[in-house]
Amino acid sequence: MSLMVDAPSSVSDDTVVGKSLTRLAIDRLRRDRTFLVCFIALIVIVLIAVFAPLICSLVGVDPYSLDSSQIDDSGGKPIGPWGGASVEHPLGVEWGTGRDLFARLLFGLRISLLIATISTILTVTFGTIIGIISGYVGGKTDMVLGRIMDLILAFPFLLIILALSGSLTQRLTQIGVPEGNPSRLTYLIIILSVFGWPYLARIVRGQVLSLREREFVESAVALGAGTFRILFREILPNLWAPILVYATLLLPTYIGTEAALSFLGVGVLPPEPSFGAMLADSVQYFRLVPSYLFIPGTVLVIVVVTFNLAGDSIRDAIDPKASRK
Amino acid sequence: MGIVKSGTRLAAVAAASALLLAACGGSSTSSESGAASAPASAAASGGAGGGEPQAGGTAYILTNAEQLLTLDPQVVYTGEDLAFLGATLTRTLTAYKMSPDNNEGTSLVPDMATDTGRVSNGGKTWEFTLKDGISWETGEAVTCADIAYGVSRTFDIGVTNGGPTYGIAYLDVPSAEDGSSAYKGPADGTGQELFDKAVTCSADGKTITFNLNKAVPDFNYAVTLHSFAAVPKAADTGAEYGNKIVSNGPYKISEYQKGKGGKLVLVRNENWDPASDDYRKAYPDSWQVDFGLDETVIDQRVIQSSGNDETALTQGLTTASLPLVFDDPAVASRAIDAFDPYTRYTAINVEKVPDKLVRQAIGVALDREALLKNAGGKYAGEFADGAVKPNIGVDYAATGLWDGLLGQAVPGTGDPEFAKKLLAQAGVKDLTITLDYAQSDDGDKAAAIYVESLKKAGITVKPNPIEPGQYYGVVFKDPNELLVGGWGPDWPNASTVIPPLFTVAGGWDLSRVDDKAFNDKVLAASTELDRAKQATMWQELNKEAAEQMWIIPTRFGRDQRLAGTKIGPVYSWPAYGSWPYADMYITQ
Repeated sequence: MSLMVDAPSSVSDDTVVGKSLTRLAIDRLRRDRTFLVCFIALIVIVLIAVFAPLICSLVGVDPYSLDSSQIDDSGGKPIGPWGGASVEHPLGVEWGTGRDLFARLLFGLRISLLIATISTILTVTFGTIIGIISGYVGGKTDMVLGRIMDLILAFPFLLIILALSGSLTQRLTQIGVPEGNPSRLTYLIIILSVFGWPYLARIVRGQVLSLREREFVESAVALGAGTFRILFREILPNLWAPILVYATLLLPTYIGTEAALSFLGVGVLPPEPSFGAMLADSVQYFRLVPSYLFIPGTVLVIVVVTFNLAGDSIRDAIDPKASRK
Repeated sequence: MGIVKSGTRLAAVAAASALLLAACGGSSTSSESGAASAPASAAASGGAGGGEPQAGGTAYILTNAEQLLTLDPQVVYTGEDLAFLGATLTRTLTAYKMSPDNNEGTSLVPDMATDTGRVSNGGKTWEFTLKDGISWETGEAVTCADIAYGVSRTFDIGVTNGGPTYGIAYLDVPSAEDGSSAYKGPADGTGQELFDKAVTCSADGKTITFNLNKAVPDFNYAVTLHSFAAVPKAADTGAEYGNKIVSNGPYKISEYQKGKGGKLVLVRNENWDPASDDYRKAYPDSWQVDFGLDETVIDQRVIQSSGNDETALTQGLTTASLPLVFDDPAVASRAIDAFDPYTRYTAINVEKVPDKLVRQAIGVALDREALLKNAGGKYAGEFADGAVKPNIGVDYAATGLWDGLLGQAVPGTGDPEFAKKLLAQAGVKDLTITLDYAQSDDGDKAAAIYVESLKKAGITVKPNPIEPGQYYGVVFKDPNELLVGGWGPDWPNASTVIPPLFTVAGGWDLSRVDDKAFNDKVLAASTELDRAKQATMWQELNKEAAEQMWIIPTRFGRDQRLAGTKIGPVYSWPAYGSWPYADMYITQ
C-alpha cells in the first residue's frame, strides 16, 4: 500500500504524514456517520442471514411448514389483519398456504446474499485478472480480450438469462451438479459472473495502462522481476481501491438482480423462498393485504440501500477526489 | 353438468396451473351446489338492474387472452369458446337448452335439426333433418352437403389442430394399417368414397345420415360439438379458416384483430332468419371481445361498471378479487359462483409407479385441504372423490374413496401414518418422485403443499415447473411420476371422462394406464344401449379407477365471474359452465 503515490489529502495535513493509505481511509470512514450506521446495519443483516435457521427456531417458525389454519376458507386470504400477523407469525403468513413470512423473508435474504456474494467474488476475481493481463500485456492479447468484453457487453443480458435457463441448468445437472436448486443457483451465479466481469475488467485495464508506465514498475522490470510478480505484487496492490469500490457497489446490484430474476421465474425452485418470488406473488393481493407486498419490498430496499451507501462511503474514503460533491 | 374439455387443450392448462385465477369455466346450480345456486338464480330473474330483455346495444367480453384460440368449427374445443361461438356464429344440429337448471341446462334441444335425432340399426345409424330457412351470411342455404363437408374436415384440419376427434372415433370409416383413419380428409381426398358411405345426404339435401362403426347411444350429444357443424366447401381456406369463418348464426364477423389491444367485433347477420332459429334470442346488436387486458384490471373495471363496462362480462375472477366482489352485496348480485364442469386431479404415471399400494400411499398422504384452501377455499370447490363429477348426472355415484374404500377413512389434510403403513406393505423405502406442473405463482405454492405433505409420510417430492404454454406437450412426451391435470366431460355421459382419462386410445391418458381388463369393461360400457345400466357400469369403473389411484382426485372445481350492471341474465349455463350467451340481453 505504501507504494501508492497520489494521496493529495495526506500532504495537506502535517500531522498525518507517515500514515499509510489504509490507515487514512479507515480514519475517514470512522468520521463518516452514514458509513457507521450502514456498517452496523450491514453486519446485522449478514448475521441475520447466516443465523437465519437459528433465529427462526428461536421464534418458533420455519419457512416451509404449511399452516392451513391461518387461511380463510373463502379465497385463501390469511385470517386477521396485517396478513395474519400474530405472536406465532410476527409478519403474517403467505396467502393461500399459511407459510410464515418472517421465516421466508430470512431464508430469502440468505439465498440472495449467498448468490450475490459468490457472484461478486467471481466477478471481481475474473474482472481483475483479465483486466490486469489485458492492460499490461497489451498488443494482440489486449485487442482480443477487449473485443470479447465488447461482445459480452453487447449481449442482451436479460434475454439470454431467461432463454438459456432451461437448457443450461439441464447441462449442469448432466455434468454432475445436483439437480434442482444447486444447479439453478450455479447457473445464476455463472451467468451473473460471466456477464459482470467485463465492466470491472475495463476499469482495471485503464488503471493498469497508466500504472505500467510508472517508475516503480520500470525499476521492478530493471531488477529483473518476472511478469507474474510485476502483475500481482507490484501493480495489483495499487488497484485495491477501485476494485473494493466496485465490489461494494456490485453486491447490492446482484441482490436486486437476483430478486428480479426470481420475480421472472428463473430463480430458486419452490418451495425455497426468495425475495423476487415473494414480490411476484404479493403483487396480486396488494389491494387486500398491502403488508405482504411492503414487507419483502421494504427489506429488499433496506438491504440494497445499506450496501450501496456503505459502498459509496468506502469509495469516498479511499478516493476522496471522486467524492460525491 | 359440464361438457367441455377446455378441459382438454387450453383450459386444462389453466387447470394444471392450479388456475391462475381459480377460474376459467363456470357452471351453475347443480344439485350439489345448494346454497350457491340460490343467489345465482335469484340474480337470473332479477339481475341486470331488473330490466326486461330487449334488443339492442353492444355486449362486451373482457379477456386477458390475446385471441380466441380458433374460430374454426372443427378445431374449437374449449367450453367457453363453444358456448360463445355457438351462440353467435356457428349453428349445430342439436344444442343444450338455455337454462340455469342443472338438468335442463344439459338437456338436448334441436338447433338446425327438426328434432334431436332419430336412431335406428341398434344405435349405429343416426338421422337428422334440417329446418327450412337456414342460410349462410352470404344468403346461400345451409345444406346437408355443407354439414358433411364440415364433418369431413375433422379428418384433417380437426385432428391436426387439436379439435375433438369423435367423428373419427365413431363414423364407420375403416382404419388404415397404421391405426389412423383410411380417410385422409377433404384436402387430400384419399378414401373420400369411404367417408361418403359413412355420411350420406338425402336427395333433397335436407336429411343427413351418420353410419357409425358401433352403437353410440349418445351420438346426438356428440353433434353439439362444432366439429359436427357445417362449413361451405367453397369458402374453406384450410388452416386459415380459423381466423375468418362464414357464419350461419345471428351475427357475423366485422373485425378481428389479435393481440394486446385487439378485438373481435360481431355485428348482425341480416341473412339469419329468426324463424329458423328459436334457440338464439340474439338481443344485442353486436358483440365485442376485447383482448389482452390485465386480469386484475378486468375485474376492477367490471366491479366499477361504468361507461361501456356496464354491459361487460368477465370470463373469470382472480382469487384476489373474490372478497371485493362477494363481500359487497351490490356487486355480488351481478356475480356467478357455481360449479364448473372440471375435476382437478393429479395423475400418477403407472409406468413409473406400477405398485397400487405406493400410488395409494401418495394419494393418502396428500394434504388436499391445503390445496383447496390455496386455490381459494369455498370458491375453489370441494374435495373430489373420483374423475366423474356429480354434476354429470346419472353417471356419478360417490366412490367413497376417502371414506373407507382404501380400508380406512382419509381426512382432507391427509394421513401420513396410513401412507407409511401402505408403503411398508409395498416394501418401499426412501421414495423420491417428481411433480410436473405448469409454472405460476399459485402453482408454485401448490407444489410446496405436495412437497410438505408427502414429506410427512417419508416421500420426497421434487417440483418440476414447466412453462405453461408447453405443459401438455412436455408431459405427454416425457412424464415424471406426478402430473397436475384437469378434465371436464364433453357431454353428460361418463363416456367422455373414463375412456379419455384411463385408456390409451382415449387421448388424455396422463397416467399412461393401459389395462386390458379395464379396456374391455370400458368398451362394454360405452356401447351399452340401456342408459340406466350404462350408468351403473360407469359408476363401477369410476370407483375402480379411484381405488387404483391412477389419479388423485383433488377437487371438483368452482368458477366465479362477474357481469356489468346493465347486462343479463346472470346465471351460469351448466352445459359449458359459461355465460348463457344465446340468452343475453342489455337493459337501458
